[in-house]
Amino acid sequence: MLRYKWKLWSAIAAGCLMSAGCSSLGVKPWQRELLSRQDMQLDGSGLDDAIDDHMYFSKEASSGGRSFGGGGCGCN
Amino acid sequence: MQLGADSGSVRRKLIAASCALLGSSAARGDPGSITDQIGRLIEDWKFQSALAYYREDGRIQAIEPVISAVRDLSDGGKLAFNFTFDSLSGSSPNGALPSRLPQTFASPSARSFAAARHLYTVSPGRLPSDPDYSDARVAGGVDWTLPLSRLMRLSVGGKVSYEDDFYSATVSTAVERDFNDKNTTVSLGVSGEFDFLQPIGGAPTPLSDYALFEKGGHETKRGQALLVGLTQVMTRNWLSEINLSLDRFSGYLNDPYKIVSVLDGVGDPVSYVYENRPDSRTRRSVYLDNRVGWKRESAGLSLRYMTDTWGVHSDTAQFRLRWWTAGADQYFEPSVRWYRQSAADFYRPWIPQDGPQETYASADSRLAAFHALTYGLKYGIRLADHFGGFGREGTEFNVRLEYYQQTIQNGPAAPAALQGLDLYPSLKAVLFQIGFSY
Repeated sequence: MLRYKWKLWSAIAAGCLMSAGCSSLGVKPWQRELLSRQDMQLDGSGLDDAIDDHMYFSKEASSGGRSFGGGGCGCN
Repeated sequence: MQLGADSGSVRRKLIAASCALLGSSAARGDPGSITDQIGRLIEDWKFQSALAYYREDGRIQAIEPVISAVRDLSDGGKLAFNFTFDSLSGSSPNGALPSRLPQTFASPSARSFAAARHLYTVSPGRLPSDPDYSDARVAGGVDWTLPLSRLMRLSVGGKVSYEDDFYSATVSTAVERDFNDKNTTVSLGVSGEFDFLQPIGGAPTPLSDYALFEKGGHETKRGQALLVGLTQVMTRNWLSEINLSLDRFSGYLNDPYKIVSVLDGVGDPVSYVYENRPDSRTRRSVYLDNRVGWKRESAGLSLRYMTDTWGVHSDTAQFRLRWWTAGADQYFEPSVRWYRQSAADFYRPWIPQDGPQETYASADSRLAAFHALTYGLKYGIRLADHFGGFGREGTEFNVRLEYYQQTIQNGPAAPAALQGLDLYPSLKAVLFQIGFSY
């Protein structure tokens, strides 16, 4: 149990550090050429992710995390 | 969500978006023929479609067409629709353990063991599965994002899903705010889900004897979720995101078709009982995603840690690498995913006949301790670069193949009669998908 809590808090701490350092990170608008590419979008694999998530939802005890689930499934 | 002060603005934007959607072709002046109008209407939308075929080794197979349509609105908003259809058939494990003896079960619609046409017998050593499982699901969703200001966006969405024995409706809303010259985005979202279950043959009384057919009517389940996200542009080729999520489900959380074997001291089944899970479940997760890009390559690495009040802890890591050919018109994308989970506190592969009374018990292998690996390969080609007259920028055909293998950890030491039997067979599945974007 201790190990699991350690993982959770480590990840949250990583997020806090990331947000604390945000003001010194980033690029100017004219430096976004690579970032604007479709394969660099965090939701760029929309249908693939939806199909994979449905498969994993029906075979594993954990799901979600990336965005809201829902839409339901009485999966077997 | 506080909309009071800005509701007039939101309403105007809603009307503007609706007019933009409905009047997009007529607004261009010359209406032309109906074909032209349809063509212009389609021109404003981006479509993605895929047809997936999923097949497990000796179990379920599924066909799943999916389509989504997205339109960027003139006010900076976005409207998205998606539609999914699933058709499943094959053989679904019922939860009972393999045995050295033949085992006879009744299909979910049976009211007794009297009608032979509702019965199926499983050979010694085989995993008990209902051989006539079939189901179909239709699901659809809509998401609408609208700008509240130059740096702030609101999105609202809804999803519905229908199966013969399961109906689900979800609504969600989220607000996003950009900071730091749009290099940092913070989002906060909430969602609510309502599910209505009407199991074939009725919802069984939890832990009741399988042979008594004690079944009731329908059941319901509710869920609420909270998601907080932070997206950060790290450098000109690195994008990072972290999400924290919390959700809670309550109500009927059992699988109405799953049973648990009750074994005597030797290990032979004496009866079966319907499973029983706690009627609430709270999950917490941390999800970290990264994209790194170069001139002809890009990589994605996501990590997720999830824990819940059922005692399940899971770790997930997924890595994708996309490699573009020299002409930047084709790509290959290998991927690998690793997953492991611990067992739910009430996971019981079987119940000893002379053991203590169980409050909760489920033999569903999805609640067992296991690890899983997925290997994938995707190939895509931009059609506009090869067939200029055929498509527009972004038109793409792709094909994807994935192999999934789940290896269940052995449970407690098996009684003598079960020695030598494969009590926890691994699951192997293949997914083949073709996709077209326009």
